[in-house]
Amino acid sequence: MKTSYFFSILLFIPVLIIQTTVVPLISIGQVIPDLILILLVYYSITEGQIYGTVLGFFYGLIFDLVTGSLLGSAMISKTVGGFVAGYFSSENKIDIYLMFFNFGMIVFLSALVDQIIYSFFSAFDISSNILMIFFQNAFLPAFYTALLGMIIIIFAPKKRIL
Amino acid sequence: MLRFLNSFWYNFKEYIILTVLVIISLFVISQNHSPAVQKVRAIAFGSFATVTSVVSDIVNVKSLRKENEQLRETNAKLMLQLSKLREAALLNDELKEMLALKDTSGFPLVSASVVSKSFSRVQGTITLNVGSSDSVKVGMPVITDKGLVGIIYSVSGNYSIARTLQNVDLKITVKDERTRENGLMKWNGERLVIVNVPKTYQIKKGDRIVTSELSSLVPFPIPVGIAAGSINVETGIFNEIQVIPFVDFSKVENVFVLKTVASKEIDELELNFLKKFQ
Repeated sequence: MKTSYFFSILLFIPVLIIQTTVVPLISIGQVIPDLILILLVYYSITEGQIYGTVLGFFYGLIFDLVTGSLLGSAMISKTVGGFVAGYFSSENKIDIYLMFFNFGMIVFLSALVDQIIYSFFSAFDISSNILMIFFQNAFLPAFYTALLGMIIIIFAPKKRIL
Repeated sequence: MLRFLNSFWYNFKEYIILTVLVIISLFVISQNHSPAVQKVRAIAFGSFATVTSVVSDIVNVKSLRKENEQLRETNAKLMLQLSKLREAALLNDELKEMLALKDTSGFPLVSASVVSKSFSRVQGTITLNVGSSDSVKVGMPVITDKGLVGIIYSVSGNYSIARTLQNVDLKITVKDERTRENGLMKWNGERLVIVNVPKTYQIKKGDRIVTSELSSLVPFPIPVGIAAGSINVETGIFNEIQVIPFVDFSKVENVFVLKTVASKEIDELELNFLKKFQ
């Protein structure tokens, strides 16, 4: 198990580099997909809920440390995001959950929860329109992330990696 | 009892782990400003930026040619402006001498490249490839040829993180260049706004917004954006003025750090003034 965590965190580093250098180039408006969450959802489905929750915690911690965002905000959102995705980690249904559309839906759900919590802890102005903020900060990035997740899962291995 | 705990753990271990990790995260959020956390963060992003700077250079190679052309054009325009400004500077110097005013211009610039970006809608930050070894300090403004990008927030040896204007934690005093009226500008998660602007203020759509001399972060005028009209006009005695920034934060690649921080002398004077009335 420890080795497994080691490899998933090792794989996280190049994904984080891509997320902070290449992904901003494919942003639409200010909507940016979250590659880290796609990786987290993949691990949550293949390795289980506890694994996803703990991994989300570490992914969030590293993300907060290197990007300068409020330390703890991504920690908490990715932890819950991994936990939510972990509900779809049944041993004998992994192949079903990793199918194109199903994976996209799980990523969407998980990203939605992740973005809502992240936005909440980033403390934006409460006088702003909550529904609009929810739509712009959570729904749109979650939708874009889900679309990208559906593309990535076509090329991802359907069994556990590393 | 032990059996109960065992059974409780077995049945609810996912929730227990989630709760523990959430509590730890909340604790970390409360410790954000502690010096130890800042130190760990400086080491972490310094190491990470070393890697991302290499990747960023590769990614940006394609855009360099286009940028080079734009820079040549900007250079030509600036050359024309410079000759005009030289004339104005000579006149200005003469007038300053006559009025015995202090010279506040001439801050040195440090050129820097953006090695990574974090553009969440509420916490925009960029990592720059200059740090304390280049005399960059927390609080220094980051600019481009178009205007203000943000403020340095954390510094390591060779890298630094700047909060962009699209960060809810960054608030800057700005003024309308035409009317000279001041206000506090911030990112509200959706847009850049000047908040609590009295309805009697004459800020109009299309007015240039620059940083105010009253700002403790940027104590001289740097272009910020264009006023795009007022919002929340129905209620209260205050308006909010929306500002469209000059800088496109998603495309910014090369910036300059202005080597100045707010004057300690002014800070001390203001503090003494406050102490007097406490």
